[in-house]
Amino acid sequence: MIEVKNITKSTKEGRQILKGISFKAKKGDFIGILGPSGAGKTLTMRCLNGLTKPTTGEILITIDNQVHDIAKNKGKELRQMRQKIGVVFQGFNLVKRLSVLENVMIGKLGQINQFRSLFKGFNNEEAQKAYEALEKVKIEKLAKRKVASLSGGEMQRVAIARAIFQEPVILLADEPIANLDPTNAKKIMKRLKPLSEEMPVIGVFHQPEIASKYCNRIIALKDGTVVYDGNSDISEDLLMDIYGDELQEIENQALVSAPLA
Amino acid sequence: MKKTTIKRIALLLVIAALLYMSMLVCNVSLGALSKGIVDGIAFLGEMFPPDFSALPDMIYPAVETIMISFLATFFGALLSFFFALAGASNISPMWLKSISRFFMATERALPEIIIILLLVAALGLGPFPGVIALAIGCIGMLGRLFSDAIEEVNAKTIESVQSAGATKIQVIQYVIIPEILPSLISNTLFRFEVNTRLSVLLGAVGAGGIGYEIFYSFQLLEYERATTAILVVLLLVFMSERVSDYFRKKILSNTKLK
Repeated sequence: MIEVKNITKSTKEGRQILKGISFKAKKGDFIGILGPSGAGKTLTMRCLNGLTKPTTGEILITIDNQVHDIAKNKGKELRQMRQKIGVVFQGFNLVKRLSVLENVMIGKLGQINQFRSLFKGFNNEEAQKAYEALEKVKIEKLAKRKVASLSGGEMQRVAIARAIFQEPVILLADEPIANLDPTNAKKIMKRLKPLSEEMPVIGVFHQPEIASKYCNRIIALKDGTVVYDGNSDISEDLLMDIYGDELQEIENQALVSAPLA
Repeated sequence: MKKTTIKRIALLLVIAALLYMSMLVCNVSLGALSKGIVDGIAFLGEMFPPDFSALPDMIYPAVETIMISFLATFFGALLSFFFALAGASNISPMWLKSISRFFMATERALPEIIIILLLVAALGLGPFPGVIALAIGCIGMLGRLFSDAIEEVNAKTIESVQSAGATKIQVIQYVIIPEILPSLISNTLFRFEVNTRLSVLLGAVGAGGIGYEIFYSFQLLEYERATTAILVVLLLVFMSERVSDYFRKKILSNTKLK
C-alpha cells in the first residue's frame, strides 16, 4: 500500500516541476503512468523510492503494518525502506561483469549486515531463493552467465528477478520497456502483470497502447499534475488531451513497430 | 612577401637562437665529443669481458630488487585504490575528490628519486625506505588510472544497487570492484614492470638491491663486475615484463565474457 499525498518538487532556480501529485495504490493495482516528456513521470518515480526528495508532500508506504514516509527518511531508515521497494529501470542497470545470479542477489544487500557481505557473502538458502526469482521470470537457465552477454530483454528480466528477490511491498518500473523491441516489451509486460497480485506495480510507459492493454489503471500526468486517474480503457480524445502535439509522433512509432508485434 | 612566409622565417630564427644559446650553456664542443667517443670505446674495453665470477654475489641483490618491487607494487596498488575511491566524483564528495586528486597530481609531478631522497633522510638507508618510496610512487599513476576507471562505472548501476538499500561499502564491493577489475589487474601488472626498473635506479642511492651493486662496482672501478650487474638488471627487467604479460593475458582472458 502506498499513498502519495500532494507532492511538489521545485528546481534550485525555483521552477516547479511537480505541482501537487496525489494517488493511492494497493495490491492488485498495475498502474501505468503516462504523459508527454517533461510531465514529471520519472521525477515522480524517483520520489517514490527516495532517490529524490520532494520539496513538499508525503509518500506513505506501509511496510509490515507500519506506515513510513519515504519523503522524510534519511540514512539508515531510508536504506531500510528501499530494501522493501523493488525498482526496475529503463537501462536495466545491472553489474555487467557479475553473473546473472549474483546480480539477483545484489537485491538483498540491504537486508544483510555489512560484516557478512564483506567476509561471508550469501548463504545457500539465499542462492536458492534468487534462483526461484529467476524461475518466476523464466530465465533460470541463464543463472551462471555473465550479464554482459545477455540481450536487452533478458537483462530486463534479470532486473525484475532482482526486484522480486527483494521481496518488496511495492514494485516500481521506470520505462522498463523503452529500450526493448515490441516482442520483448510484451514479454516484460506479461511478467510484470502477475506480480501485481502480490503488490502494487507502478510503471512509467511511453507507449499508451501497451499500457492500456496490460495495466488495469492509468494515471496521466501533464505539466506536473495528475490529469487522469482511472481505468485503463482510455479514449483517443483523452490521449489527445494528454499528449497534444506529441501524439502523432507516438502513434507513428507504434505503426513502425506494429508489424513486429 | 606573404604573411605566412614571414612567420615561418621568424620561427626558424627563434629556434636557431634557442639552439645557439643552449649550446653555449651546455658547453657543446665537437672536440669534446670526438675525445669522448675515443675515451668511451676505451672504457667499453675495460667493461668487457663481464666478470661472471661475481655472479653468485648478484643473486641476493637481484632477489632483493624483485622483492622490493613486488612489495611496493602490492602496497602501492592498495594505497592507490583508496586514493582512487576518494578521487572518483561518482562516489566521493567534491571536497574529498579535490584533495585526493590534488595529492595524486602532486605525486605524479615528483620524480621517484626525490621521494627516495626524502625517505632516506627520514628512515635511513636500506630496502625498506625503497619499498615505501616506490609504493608512494604508485599513487600518482595508478591512483589516477583507477580513479578514471571508477568514474566510468555507470552511475545508474550504482544508483540501482543503492535503491535496493545497499551501503557505500557494498556498492564498492559488488559494483565498483567487479566493473573495474580488468583495469585494476592490467595497470597493477604494468606498474610492477615500472617498479622493477625504478628499484634498480633507487638502489644506486642506497635503497639496496642490484642497483647498489652497479653503483658500488663503479666506485671501486671494477667495471667488468659492473657489466655483470647490468646484464642481471636487463635479465630482471625482461623477466618482469614476460611474467606480467603472461599473467595479464591469462587473467584477462579468464574474465573475458563468453
